[in-house]
Amino acid sequence: MKRFYLKNQLRLKAFRAADGVIADYYRALTCAISIPLADIPLMAIDLEMTGLNVQFDQILSIGMVPIQNGMLQLKDADYRLVSIEGSVGDSAAIHGIVDGQLETAISANEAMHWFLEKTKGHVLIAHHAPLDLCFLKAEIFRCFGEKMTFVSIDTMSLERARILRQHEVIKEGSLRLDACRSRYGLPIYAAHNAAVDALSCGELLLAQMASIAGAEELTLSDLLR
Amino acid sequence: MDASELQPIMQFLQQRVPFSSLDEEALLSGCRSLTIGYYSKASAFVPLDPLHPQLYIVRSGAFEVRDINGELLDRLGEGDYFGFPSLLSGEEASNRVAILEDGLVYHLPPEMFNSLRTKSREFDRFFNKAFAKRLRHQGRFKAKELATTSRITTLMSKSPLTIDMKATISDAARLMRKSRVSSVLVIDNEKLVGILTDKDLRNRVLAEGLDGSLAVHQAMTTTPISIESNSLVFEAMLLMSEHNIHHLPVVDCGLAKGIITSTDILRGQSSQPLLLIGEIDRQKDLPSLIQVSKQIPLLLQNLISADARAEEIGRVLTSVTDALTRRLIVLNQQILGEAPMAFCWLAFGSQGRQDQVACSDQDNGLLLAHEPDEAAEGYFEALSKAVCAGLDECGYIYCPGNIMAQNPKWRMSLKKWRGVFQKWVNTPDPKALMHSSIFFDMRAVYGPQSLFNGLQDEVLNNTKDNDIFLAGLTGNSLTSTPPLGFFRKFVLERDGSEVKGIDLKHKGSALINDIARVYALSAGIKEVNTAKRIRALMDQNIINRKDALNLADAHEYIAHMRLSNQGYQYTNGKPVTNYLMPKDVSSLVRHQLRDAFKVVHDGQVGLKLKMMRSY
Repeated sequence: MKRFYLKNQLRLKAFRAADGVIADYYRALTCAISIPLADIPLMAIDLEMTGLNVQFDQILSIGMVPIQNGMLQLKDADYRLVSIEGSVGDSAAIHGIVDGQLETAISANEAMHWFLEKTKGHVLIAHHAPLDLCFLKAEIFRCFGEKMTFVSIDTMSLERARILRQHEVIKEGSLRLDACRSRYGLPIYAAHNAAVDALSCGELLLAQMASIAGAEELTLSDLLR
Repeated sequence: MDASELQPIMQFLQQRVPFSSLDEEALLSGCRSLTIGYYSKASAFVPLDPLHPQLYIVRSGAFEVRDINGELLDRLGEGDYFGFPSLLSGEEASNRVAILEDGLVYHLPPEMFNSLRTKSREFDRFFNKAFAKRLRHQGRFKAKELATTSRITTLMSKSPLTIDMKATISDAARLMRKSRVSSVLVIDNEKLVGILTDKDLRNRVLAEGLDGSLAVHQAMTTTPISIESNSLVFEAMLLMSEHNIHHLPVVDCGLAKGIITSTDILRGQSSQPLLLIGEIDRQKDLPSLIQVSKQIPLLLQNLISADARAEEIGRVLTSVTDALTRRLIVLNQQILGEAPMAFCWLAFGSQGRQDQVACSDQDNGLLLAHEPDEAAEGYFEALSKAVCAGLDECGYIYCPGNIMAQNPKWRMSLKKWRGVFQKWVNTPDPKALMHSSIFFDMRAVYGPQSLFNGLQDEVLNNTKDNDIFLAGLTGNSLTSTPPLGFFRKFVLERDGSEVKGIDLKHKGSALINDIARVYALSAGIKEVNTAKRIRALMDQNIINRKDALNLADAHEYIAHMRLSNQGYQYTNGKPVTNYLMPKDVSSLVRHQLRDAFKVVHDGQVGLKLKMMRSY
C-alpha cells in the first residue's frame, strides 16, 4: 500500500519537475522501487559539512558506496570534495579536511549534478538521513531552483525502532554510528571521512537487514520510516 | 577512491598474510575490487555459488567449514579465509560453511585473485595448493656460523653486579670479591653511569694512591662503551677488540640489562659441540664431568639462536649425551675393573632416535652377551647404578617409568631381551604397545655393534609384516590426534574442543615419530632416527615420495617451532615447556602450523588405511 502511494507520488513529481535531470531521477526511482527489495539498487551515502546549520553551513565532501544483491560494491564507491565559499574554519578538527585539500574539489553545482547522476535509480541509505538530505535539498534548490524529494532508509531510525521494540531505554550516544555498529559486532573503522562513513553505514544496514529478516520477509516499506 | 578513503580495509588486509606481501598499488586495486557481505546466523550457511567462486575473507564473526561427510575441517575467525580451494582447482566447492556468529565478510573476485597471484609470488605461493601441502623452508633452517650470528643474550650474564655511585671504592672491591667477578656496574637512579674493573682498581686506585673510602665514581670509567641486548656476539667481539676492553655492559634505554665479558665469549665458543665432546672425553672424574655438562643448555641455546635445523640440534645434543654416557662407563670401569663379559649400553626413546632436546630424562638398558653369574650380576649392577647416577647429576634426570639400566628388569642377556621383545610382538596388550614406543627406538651407545645387531635383527624379523602387532601399534598411535589449527586465541582440537595451547611434542613430533616407527617396523628398517626412517621408507617406496617429503618437512617444522618456542621461553625467563600459545605466533606461522598438522593428520589416516585393513 505504502509502496503504491510512493510510486504515484514519484510519478507526479516527475511530471511536475521543470528540470530534465530531476524528472529523470524520479522516473528511475519509480522503476527501482517497483521490484523486490533484494534487487533494489541501494546507495549508502555520507556528507561532511562545515557545520550542522543548513542556513549557514556548506557541504564539504560526499562519499557513496552502492549495495547490489545485498553486497557492498567497493569498485563503484565514490568520493568528491566540494569547494566552499570562505574557509573550513574550526570544522577541520572533525572531518580533517583543510583548505589546501579543497584545490581538487569540484563546485557545488558540479557536485549536485554528479550526485544526482550517481544515485539515480537508487534508494539512499544514510545514518541520521534527515540531516544529510536536508543539506542536499538546500544545495539542489540553489542549483536547480526546485524542491527535491528523496527515497531513503535511515539506519539510525531503524536502530531506534529496534531498540524500542526490545523495550530498552535509548541511552545517550547509543544511536551513534559506531555504537550501532558495535552491537552487530562490526569492526571499528577509525575515520571521519565521508567515504568510510558511507561504507560503515552500508555495512550497518546489511547487519540490520540480516537481523530483521530473521523474523520475516523484508519489504522496502519495512525500512522506510 | 584512493588509499585514504579505503584506509580501514587497507589496514586490515595489510596486516594479514599473504596480503602483507603485496605492494601498495596491488593492495589498493585488491581493496577496490572487494564486495562486502553480511552473514546472519539465522540463515545457517554461507551460500557458496558454484558458478562464482571467490575468496572469502572473514572480517568479523565466526564460521565453521565441514566436508561432505560433516567432518569438521576448520573453524574460522577474524582474518581467516575460505573458498580458495575451488578458486585454485576450478572444482566445485563441496564443503559447507556454517555461520556460528553473525559476521562481515569481504569477497575478492576471481579475476583480481588471479591478478594478485601473478603480481606477488608470495601471494600465489600462500594460496597455492602445492604450497599449502609442502612445507619446505630449507633456506630458513640453514645453520649459520655460531659465533658470528648468535645473539649476545645467550652469553651475557643477566643479573649483573651493580653498585650505587655513592658507595665507596672499598665497598665495591668487597662486593666484587664476594661475587668473584672482575667488574661491577655503577648506577645512579637505576641508570648506568660507569663501570669499575679490576684494572681500574689497580691503575686508578692503588697506583695513584687513592683512598678506598672515596666514592666509586672517582675511580670508575664514566659512560663506558656499552652494547644493546639485541646485538650479535660478533658485534660485541668487534667492540672489545676495537677499544681493547674486556667488559661490555649491556644497556637498553640507559638501564643495565647485563654484562658480557671476553671470558663469556670464549666460553660461548667452547660450548660448540665438537669442543664440548672433546672436553667430555678429557675429564678424569665425575665432578669435572658435571662441571662440563653445565654447558649443555648453553649449547642448546646457541644452536637455537643460530637457527640450526631442529633435526641437527637433536643429533648434536644426542651425540653429547652419548659421549657423556660413554665417558661415564669408561671412568666407572676404571674403578670397577674390566667387565666380565661383552655388553652393550642401550639407549631408548629420544636418545635412541637422536632427537633429544632440553631436560630429557634417561631411557636406557643393558644388553649382556650371555647369562651373568652372581659375580657378573653384581658387577653390572654397580656399573649401571654408577652410570645412571652420573647421568642424573649431569642433568639427565632419572626416568620416571624406571626404564633404566640400573633397574634389573632392563639389564638382561641377549637371549632374555629377545624373549621380552618376542612376547611384546606376539601378545600386543596395551602395556606392550606402550613399551613399544620407547623400546623399539633403540640404539647401542657403547659396546660391540655385532652384539646389538643380534638383538635388532631378531626384533625386526618378528615385527616385519606382523599384521596383528602392527595393527595394534597403529591403533595405539592413533589414540592421539594433531590439533586442527587455531581459532581466535585458542587451539582447536579435531573434536571441536578448544584448548589454550598446542602441545608440540605430544600432539606433533611424537605422532610423526609413531607413524615412522610403525612403517619402519613393518618393513624391517634398522634406522631409528625419524628423519632417517622416513628417508628409508621413501627409498624403499613404502611411502610415496611426496607424502614422505611432506611428513619429513612437517616433522622438521614442528620440531623447529618447539625449539624456537623453548628458546623464546628461556630468554624471557618463562618455564620451558612444549606448549605453544596462539598469541605468541604470527599469522604466517599459524597457517604453516595448520598445514603441518594437516600433514600429520593425513599421515595418520594413511597409516590407518594401510595397517588396519584387516579390522
